[in-house]
Order: sequence, then C-alpha cells, then structure tokens
Amino acid sequence: MNPEYPALSTASLIDLDSPMTSLKQYQLAAALERDLGHPAIADNPLSFQRTAEIDEQETFPEAEVAWLYNWQLQHYYIPTQCGGKFTSFEEFVGFVRVMARRDLNITIAFTTMFWSFLTWMAGTDAQKAKLAQYMQEDHGTMCLAYSERDHGSDLVGGSVVARKVPGGYRLTGEKWPINRATRSGITYVLARTNEEGGNRGLSLFMVDKREINPNEYGNNPKIKTHGIRAADMSGIYFEDCFVPDTMLLGQEGQGLELALKGFQITRALCAAFSQGAADTCLRTTLNFALNRQLYGKTVWDMPHARRTLVNGFLDILTCDCVNLAAARGFHVAPRQFSVWSAVDKYFVPVTLENMQQDISVVLGARFYMRDEHDHGVFQKMLRDSSIISVFDGSSVVNLHALILQRRQLAKTRGRRKPKDIEAINARLKNSFDLNTDLPPFDPTQLELISRGADDVPQGLESALEALEALTPAEVDATVLGCLKQQGQQLLQALDDQDAAIAQSAFEHGHDQSFESFEQAKHYCRIHAATACLHMWLHNRRHLGEFFAQGQWLVLCLDRLLAQWLPTRPAVPETYYATVEAELLSLYKAEQMFSIVPFQLATLPAADPVPPAPAAMAIP
Amino acid sequence: MNPTATQSQTATSPVEAIQIWLVQQLSEVLSLDPATVDVTQPLTRYGLDSIDAVTLVGDLEDWLDEELPSTLLWDYPTIAKAATYLVEELEVSVDTGN
Repeated sequence: MNPEYPALSTASLIDLDSPMTSLKQYQLAAALERDLGHPAIADNPLSFQRTAEIDEQETFPEAEVAWLYNWQLQHYYIPTQCGGKFTSFEEFVGFVRVMARRDLNITIAFTTMFWSFLTWMAGTDAQKAKLAQYMQEDHGTMCLAYSERDHGSDLVGGSVVARKVPGGYRLTGEKWPINRATRSGITYVLARTNEEGGNRGLSLFMVDKREINPNEYGNNPKIKTHGIRAADMSGIYFEDCFVPDTMLLGQEGQGLELALKGFQITRALCAAFSQGAADTCLRTTLNFALNRQLYGKTVWDMPHARRTLVNGFLDILTCDCVNLAAARGFHVAPRQFSVWSAVDKYFVPVTLENMQQDISVVLGARFYMRDEHDHGVFQKMLRDSSIISVFDGSSVVNLHALILQRRQLAKTRGRRKPKDIEAINARLKNSFDLNTDLPPFDPTQLELISRGADDVPQGLESALEALEALTPAEVDATVLGCLKQQGQQLLQALDDQDAAIAQSAFEHGHDQSFESFEQAKHYCRIHAATACLHMWLHNRRHLGEFFAQGQWLVLCLDRLLAQWLPTRPAVPETYYATVEAELLSLYKAEQMFSIVPFQLATLPAADPVPPAPAAMAIP
Repeated sequence: MNPTATQSQTATSPVEAIQIWLVQQLSEVLSLDPATVDVTQPLTRYGLDSIDAVTLVGDLEDWLDEELPSTLLWDYPTIAKAATYLVEELEVSVDTGN
C-alpha cells in the first residue's frame, strides 16, 4: 500500500512561484511577537533587560503577567467549546515559544494556566463555565498541588486527606513545593478520600480560594531556587478546611486517573519552554560569534565554533520535528499519549539542555555572566531551563513509564497487519502534514496505557517505502542515498531493540535496572529520528527550499545515529555549509530557528529585513 | 494462543481460568510463590502499584485478545473480583480446554 504522502508530480521540487506558505496556526505566535517587540529594546514588555532585573530582584513579574492578560492570551488556554479560543496544541506551542524565548519566569508563571485542562477534561458544565469566566474576566490563574514534602512522585503515598462531611469535604495536610501556590485563586489538590488509600483512594479537587475560609488554609513562604528565581514557588496547607462538593472534579476516587491523564497533556507542552530557551541561547551566542574578533577573524569563522553552533541548530530542528508532531498528534492519536508524551518530555528538554551546554563553549566566559552580553540572558536561560526536565514528571518518571510499556510496544509492532499499517499511515499524515486540519482535541480519549501503539516508530517502514519511491528528479540523489541508508540503520536499531525486549525478562515496579533506562533513552532517540523523517516526507513540498533539500535531515539523523553507531559512513561535508547558510539567514532576518521559521520582532532602526530564501513568512 | 497452554493447573470455569492466569502473572512479576497468593486479597497487599496494575491489564488484554478498561484492577482490586467482573459483566470468553 502507498503511504499517504503529498502526491508526486513532474513539476519542480518546490513550487517557488506560488505565494509563500502561510500556516494559520502560526499567526497567533507571529502577532504576539510583533506586539511584544524586540527583546533587546529595554522598554518592551518582556525585554532582556527587564526580565534580568526581575530575576535579580526575585520578585513576581506582576506587570508582565498583567500585560499578557491584557493582550488576552489567556483565551488561548480555553477550548472554543468552553468559550475560549484554544484550537490546537500546535498553535499553543507556537505562542509559548514566543514567550519562552524572552523569559521563562514569566512564561512558566503564566502557563500554569494549562492546568485548566483538568477541568476541560473532567469538569461539569458549571465548573467549566466558572473557570473560563475566572480566567477571561478576572484574570485568574491556577496551580497544581500534587507534590508533598515527603512523597515526591509517589502520588498514591500522599498524606493530604479529604474527609467526607455533609455537603462537602474537610481537607487537611500540606502540598509543597508548588509553583504559584500563593498567587493562584484556584488550586488543584489531590487528596486521599479513602482512609485505606489505594489507586481509587484519591480524589481531585478544584479548590477556589475565594470560597473557602481563609482561617482554614495558608501558604508556605517562597522557596529560593537556582533558576526561575522570580517564581511564586511555595506551598499550601489546609487545616480541617471545608470545601463544598461542587469543588470535587470528576468522581470521588478518580483523582489518580485524572492526574495521570492531565500529565500527558502538560508534559508534552513543557517541551515548548525548552524550545524558546534554546532559540535565545543560540541567537545570543551567534550575536557574539559574528561580532567578536579574535586573531583577525570572527569567532564564527573558526571551524570548531561554527560546527558547534550548527550542531545546536540541528538539535533545535530535531526537537521541532518531535514536538510539533506530538502537539499535533494529541488531536489525532490521543490514546497513544501515555507513550508519546513520555518520549517528548524526556527527549526535547534533555536534548536542548545539553545543546545549551554544548554551545556555551562558544560564548566562553560570558556564558557565566549575569550582566554582560544581552543582559546575561544565556546564563539565565541555562538556569531557568534546567528545571524543565524535572517538573511535571522528571526524566526518570517518563523513562520509567516507557520501560513499563516497552514490551507491549514491541509485541504490537510485531503483530501489525496491512489494515493496521494503513491506519497508522493515515494518522501519521494528519499528525505530521502541517497543512492538514486537525480534529478538535478530545481529552476523554486519553488512556493510561497506549496498548502497544506508537505511530511514529511503527510507521518507519512506510517512511522507508516512501523514500524508495522518490526519484532523483525530486530529491538530490546523494541526499536520497544517505537517507535510505540511515533509514535502514534506524530500522535495524528498532528491530534489534524489539528482539532484545522480547527475549529479556520483564520487570514490573520500581526495581528497573540502569540498563532498562538506557534502553528507554535509545527508544526515544529512534522515535525522534523517525519523527524527523516523517516530518520531511510529509512537508517537503510546503516548508521552503532549505527544508525540501533534506541536507539538514541527513545531518540531524547522523547526530542521532552517532549516539549508537560510532562508526558509520561519513555524511557529505558540504551539507554543513548549507545549514550554516540557513542559520545565518534566519538570524539576520530575525526568524524563529525552526522548521517553521516565522517572523520574529525586528529592531525598528535596522536595515530592511532581507527575505530569507524560501523561508515561511506570515503576513 | 490457547490460554490453557500456559497453565499448570486445569481450570474448570472461565472465572477460574482467569484467576489462575492472574495468579501466575502476579507471581512472576513480583517473584512470589503462587501458592501464597490469596485471590481475595487486594493486589496492593502484594506490592503491585498503580502503574503495574495498569500494565498488567495490558498483558491481560493480550491474553484475552479483548480491550479492557485500563483501570480494571483499580476498580476490582482483588484477583477474585476482577475475574468475576470480566466473566459476568464483560462476558469475556476463555477457552478452559474442557
């Protein structure tokens, strides 16, 4: 059967005569960019100077958060069917990157609103209407109170109790550390409603501070942190606090299930924080490398520095493919997100945190300075972003979730029948082809296990078939040759891991070996590499010439393959020059480092922005 | 796959067949002596945590070749309750080999 890729034609590779592609899901991000203005201008709302001051003062960014509310960005956290303007997670990821590339203190503070998805998923109509009004009109926000001082990720072991009384519950206990615990009007509290505990012993409450007795709860003091120092990182405690039945979310006993499903949503979205931070780290380092003169030339002119920065750009492109597909996949294959969001939440933040460390060598000692070079934004991003791979389920938690499902993934892959592959291909087209419309997100479709389904790697053979069907008239023969070879190496890795999993003894529980975690990381890399391949195959006709040529893809795959194939055929050196040119072009045109390089805010005094060849422009 | 092929005991009813299978799985997963597993005790007593219980449902689905609620073992937290529910409410069929 033919995988569903854009129809081949005898016309030129890219229809350069047509108007530039305009993807409507990026228009919001582009508009927010324009209105926020260039972050190098001190007076702009989230400028580097202002956000550095906020960080130094360790004070909550009141004015900046208020600016975002006044811009009405909160409407895009509320689904249209609940009265808001949220339509897709791809659009969501786009505007979060716009905020995150400026500052993570503000972005993370504002985006605690994504916890509202718990109510959109499980709330009654009355709860939804009340929350939407609270966000839209009262500029209110919420926090997630799951963690406890002595229980960490062990949610079932939690000790906050909700005792049933007539008309409601009485809450007792402390939640800590909780981001925005003090300033949130709504607190999602996971509490034990069954004394004996157990998996059905927890319930989720949407506690509205406006309606509880202020003498029956309190907040812990701000916790001092290494990064996001302006955050309202604190805690909340309840002392026999009455909460009415109307604050119970879902059914009594449904708390753990809702908590785990809610994490599937937010984990995948956390990657957007990392993407924004990575963009700024690369941009500020380029700013240095292109202007700094050493030994009679610029830092950029030095091969090691140049390659280091190009590798950073390639990592960003890889993560783009992984995270944009995940954001879209939510709408297409929500039942797979116990696996898909775990891969995304592990792979993207960890890859981009490493990338930031890698490129810091180019910046030299300046990477460590808090007030030099773009107001010390590099070190701040480095500090701020290092929490992303930890919160909302750490890397260990995500890899553990994958380990437990890995055997089912292998079994299901081994059992695929032609009709299954046809269905996978149809879903992949919708998840990856950025020009296809997405169905509305349906959170009721989320499942605790994916039943062995993970479309991305399970569609690898289809991608390889599509590569085989391409001709040198469409794609450069050398690129195509490299991709076919790399595709086979990926398939081999996946087959080998599946075989190894089938033969190994399966462990449940929390006694997983170190090797199991390494295997799960390897699975994430295979998933990521395959996502890059799918992204290219499904979009090579509409994301511009650089994207279509595929040289970047060969290099992205090579970087991933290098992690388990130290000896492999060399890729053509000239491809690096192509990627260097694209990186410089996006930098000069002030466009997002992305496979969808939408226009960023420009400096008013700058020369007219040269159009980046074949890059996407948003009108 | 014939469910009875993996069993050392012969089941006389579908409920019993599922119970035997679950005892065997639980014993393997948690390294227990099957003889010590009491089907009327909550699975959490044996150290099966929330995610393990969901994973075990995945295995059960595989064996029965039917899609089941992933929270089955949360809602029916003993082997006896889960097996009865599967047969009497969900009407799953198991080949007992009789």
